[in-house]
Amino acid sequence: MKPTRWQAALTALLLVPVLAWTLFPIYWIATASFKTELSLYARPPHWLFTPIADNYTRVLTNIPFFQYLKNSLVIAIGTTIGSLVLGTLAGYGFARFRFRLSEAVRFLVLVMRMAPRMVLVVPYYLMMQRLGLLDTYTGLLIAYVSFALPFSIWLLIGFFVDVPLEVEEAAMIDGCSPLGVLLRIVIPIAAPGLVVAAIFAFLVSWNEFLFALILSGVEAKTLPVVIAGLNTDAGPLYGEMSAAAVMVMLPNIVMTLALQRYLVRGLTLGAVKG
Amino acid sequence: MAVGSAGRWFLLPGLVFLFTIDLIPLLYSAWISFYNWWLLRPRDVRFVGLANYARLASDAEFTRAVVVTTLFTSGAVLVEFLAGLGLALLFAQPFRFLRPLRVLLLLPLFVVPVVGATMWRVIFHPEIGVLNYYLSVLGLGRPPWLSDPTLALVSITIVDAWRTIPFMFLVMYAGIETLPGELYEAASVDGASAWHRFRYITVPLLTYIMLLAVLIRAMDVFREFDIIFVLTGGGPGTATQTIQILNYRAFGLGHMGEANAIGMVTLILVTLMCWILLRAVLGRRGAPA
Repeated sequence: MKPTRWQAALTALLLVPVLAWTLFPIYWIATASFKTELSLYARPPHWLFTPIADNYTRVLTNIPFFQYLKNSLVIAIGTTIGSLVLGTLAGYGFARFRFRLSEAVRFLVLVMRMAPRMVLVVPYYLMMQRLGLLDTYTGLLIAYVSFALPFSIWLLIGFFVDVPLEVEEAAMIDGCSPLGVLLRIVIPIAAPGLVVAAIFAFLVSWNEFLFALILSGVEAKTLPVVIAGLNTDAGPLYGEMSAAAVMVMLPNIVMTLALQRYLVRGLTLGAVKG
Repeated sequence: MAVGSAGRWFLLPGLVFLFTIDLIPLLYSAWISFYNWWLLRPRDVRFVGLANYARLASDAEFTRAVVVTTLFTSGAVLVEFLAGLGLALLFAQPFRFLRPLRVLLLLPLFVVPVVGATMWRVIFHPEIGVLNYYLSVLGLGRPPWLSDPTLALVSITIVDAWRTIPFMFLVMYAGIETLPGELYEAASVDGASAWHRFRYITVPLLTYIMLLAVLIRAMDVFREFDIIFVLTGGGPGTATQTIQILNYRAFGLGHMGEANAIGMVTLILVTLMCWILLRAVLGRRGAPA
């Protein structure tokens, strides 16, 4: 099925409203970070203007931004690794092994994700206080892995059951252990699923606000808490908030660019012959 | 289907971790919900059984919040699902120029939710916002996006959709990318139309991933807080007062028993909703193929 030229033209045409809708608010945030507040509300709106760097210098001088950036990065990377390791193992366990109540247990995993966080935060605080983990990376990390894990498990089940069983059986016959099959056969074929699970685990931690606010004091404070602090009693500091938001977006973009080459079709093509 | 004791070793680490970390706080919260506990009267804490739940059941404001939450959830999830699926299919086409654009489509996910919502409030501003400036230039008036009861619900749906269509897109796009290409080739050799390939190959093979995307979004929209809090705070009146906003108020006033009861009711409602969705789509077995 060769795509035709008019099909390409139609696709390009559809992309215009899609990208405009997606990118306009981002553009507005990005430009707000280079504007004075007066210019943000100018009528007619300023599309072209002389950029100012004041918002960035204020954020970087008034707040130990890089300290909080490090906190956010360490916790987010830890969350991603933790939920990928546990999620891959459990996802494969659910996808390939049946036991009594396996469906009920799997639903219960999802139920763990349904509880309102507002309700969990107080008892979780008391639990971490008991364990001496308040205001530490570990305390937030444990919470975020538990947030990200149910989705990782359910998503990866979906990708793992689609891996052709014949390939796995062939590897077993060739003497591969179950863990070997998972690592050498299943993971490479289901790579797009792992990429998506990784991106969302990272984002769960990166954007989370409530738990970060309640559980971290000084040492483990993350960026969303810092940014929310710019929403002062006297009203939001739009310029500084936007500048911080732009800087907070950059690591995500780098991560996605690094991971997206695994988001490709075709690894199963030809895996099973006949 | 392999059966064996090896499965246990795959499952145990994740499950033990998850249930230990989540069940303890949940049980604690369920326990508190049976108490009358107001932080302003710390000496008057007593066990009241189901009284907090009974009060919620007869509270018109709570019933109204359930209706608002349900409306918001069904509207937002429907819009996001259709848009996400459309985009996933659009981007699954084999055109090279689509590759570099994928990341652009994901950008809204990377904006800290509170900042995104704050910026939308600026855009929506009836007098000095950029949206109404261009609408009035086009002669379409200046709609009060956040202060009209109906429009306010539409506005928070718009912001939620802007933020999370990328989630729907990415999950379904990755799902489509792992579908076996041979099937599509065979089908087009046999003369199947694009619609038939979609209806008889993509939909059945993607059912589980689509269902999961809807489930996750449904439970998140149902418990959405940040966007509503920043944009409308539940207003005007009670137009966008969802269960979460009520829950926040209850915590803010220090009514711990009632607040935890609201949380438990939310959990029960979300669980029911997901259970019904799962059953409806997958049938009685409730399992992926």
